[in-house]
Amino acid sequence: MIEQPARVEQFQQEIDAMQLRDPAVTRERNLLRLGGILMVVGIVVAAGAYVLDRSANVNSGQAQQLDALSLGLLGVVITIVGGAMFLRYSLGQFLRFWLARLSYEQQAAADRLSGGPTPAPNPAAAPPKVAPAIKR
Amino acid sequence: MTPGVAPMLELRGVRAAYDSIDVLHGIDLVVPAGQVIALLGPNGAGKTTTLKVASGLHPAAAGDVFIAGRRVNGARADELACRGLCLVPEGRGVFPNLTVRENLWVMTYAGRSRSEIEEAAYARFPVLAERRTQQAGTLSGGEQQMLAMARGLATDPALLILDELSMGLAPLVVEQLYGLVAEVAAEGVSILVVEQFARVVLGVASRAAVMVAGHIVHEGLPAEIEATLSESYLGAGETEH
Repeated sequence: MIEQPARVEQFQQEIDAMQLRDPAVTRERNLLRLGGILMVVGIVVAAGAYVLDRSANVNSGQAQQLDALSLGLLGVVITIVGGAMFLRYSLGQFLRFWLARLSYEQQAAADRLSGGPTPAPNPAAAPPKVAPAIKR
Repeated sequence: MTPGVAPMLELRGVRAAYDSIDVLHGIDLVVPAGQVIALLGPNGAGKTTTLKVASGLHPAAAGDVFIAGRRVNGARADELACRGLCLVPEGRGVFPNLTVRENLWVMTYAGRSRSEIEEAAYARFPVLAERRTQQAGTLSGGEQQMLAMARGLATDPALLILDELSMGLAPLVVEQLYGLVAEVAAEGVSILVVEQFARVVLGVASRAAVMVAGHIVHEGLPAEIEATLSESYLGAGETEH
């Protein structure tokens, strides 16, 4: 018998209202990859700008160098944006891992210490329908 | 199962893996509304992975996960938690360097105020009220498990998932905790519990399943499962804990 039909119904409604994403597409991982790709693309563009600049001749001269300058700056900007994205999302992953690791190590340390002093027993009598005090 | 009410949790042909290592090989499991389902099995059977898949912590490589009748493959664990699915993890998962009340405050993500959460927790576990300013890491194992359960129950879960409630605890404490589980179940909360203390958990379960090597090998009423435990995974004559 279900004693909380309203809670069950509410749970069903809330689950129904959830916005689910495609599990195959994780936004964060894609942005991390995009950041890495942009870094490489930026460097390639900047290198291309250098080649363009060095290939300028007497006739195309100044105009081509200006194009190369613009292209070089664009490459640098793309690299910086890509690097920032890569750093942002790789750091996010690392910090989550670090937090989980920290939590685990603290738990392990607490477990090691659990053989230490026993907390004072609960002097209060447990009322009905509630948990009794647990001794170590 | 209650007629007309979708199961709170249903796994259909769920497979899961860690990198290239397959752990679950097509799990079918149903947790009807208002019932306690026990998932038993030896170490390495895939019980915890099953719970992780059910709670959104680990992706299913294949198969379907239904919660309250809706397919939720790919749903984030925090989204499911905010809506009423609560996992009490193996090892309790309390923050040892935070006080008891600070550990409870962590559960305000679900929208309830600190005072409401504390009130609900202390009403069910009075011992925690006495320890409210004590660091959680200095509590006894049973009290830490109570704190973990109190945190889960403070959010008014519709589906409670308990992983190895008995880990590292004395049998007497385990029995007390399962008494609490029975009380929670009597209030209508659906519960999926993974346990190695087979005898204790079968006393509160509506149905049970036995997992071995990523497969569910037996499923049925607790009395039926108890009779097959030794054949299933413990070895003859070793069903007692």
